[in-house]
Amino acid sequence: MSPLTFFLAASLLLLAIGLAGLITRRTLVGMLISVELMLNGAGLSIVAAAKSTEASDALGQLATLFVMGLAAAEATLVLAMILVVQRRFGKVLSSDISTLR
Amino acid sequence: MEEFVTPLVDSVLNYLGDAINSLQEFLSPYLPEASLAAYVAFAVYTLIILAGAFGAVLSRNLVRAMMGLVLTFLGVAGMYLLLASPFLAFMQLLIYVGAVCVLIFFAIMLTRNTSEGEEARLPGFSALGYGLLSLVAPLAVFLPLLISRGRDLKTKVPEDPGTGVLGEGLLREYVLPFELISIILLVAMAGAVFLAYRGYKPLKGGSE
Repeated sequence: MSPLTFFLAASLLLLAIGLAGLITRRTLVGMLISVELMLNGAGLSIVAAAKSTEASDALGQLATLFVMGLAAAEATLVLAMILVVQRRFGKVLSSDISTLR
Repeated sequence: MEEFVTPLVDSVLNYLGDAINSLQEFLSPYLPEASLAAYVAFAVYTLIILAGAFGAVLSRNLVRAMMGLVLTFLGVAGMYLLLASPFLAFMQLLIYVGAVCVLIFFAIMLTRNTSEGEEARLPGFSALGYGLLSLVAPLAVFLPLLISRGRDLKTKVPEDPGTGVLGEGLLREYVLPFELISIILLVAMAGAVFLAYRGYKPLKGGSE
């Protein structure tokens, strides 16, 4: 067992909890929150792996910075989608927008 | 009073120290070499992360769920500090707590999805079953892999090379991903404006 194992276990827990939230949440906003949890787990695992092995230090930190940028872009787009869905349906239930029409 | 209290405090402190020492001796074959403070910090951050994550997933009130998300972000920032990358911890606070959480709060408020919204009801029975399955499945797949592969992994103690390395990497070695992520951000902002702006026109006939 190394410290890396503990950090990876923590990020694995974030992934599992976020996935469970993504399944059980009813609205798009709750699903967005769960996706952010999973992205945080991804960033944590990347930094832990790059920092505590011989891998390039800059690569790990920059990859996590890119993950953060992608998360920000994704949150912006999801906010716009939530606005559009709210205008069309009056609510943001994921079960309402499951038909391709 | 003094001659009664001082030996008592001393004996309690001795007992605590002995207990911690014996605990460390008992656990040392299983745990990697690190100072006790590092373990305490890791345990505290893990508790913060778990409490925040469960709050974010289980809370029926979306504003409370977002506060759980903030708690998780703070815990992960602490983990970054523990991994000797303070710049990332700072960026975590700036980007996630400062920007993403504000966006989520806007989403909650614009959809009026607070305590009496659609999320206030409990999820259905099948959704709960699938949720439990998706909680267990990643753990069941990756945890045995992690434990079996992590045993003979060669690791080193993380150290902070400073932010100069990051700047060099952004402008020299990883300049293409850097430019790509700026394009992605631009496209995402333009797409968000496009999506939200079209909706202002009144829809005719319901065909759109």
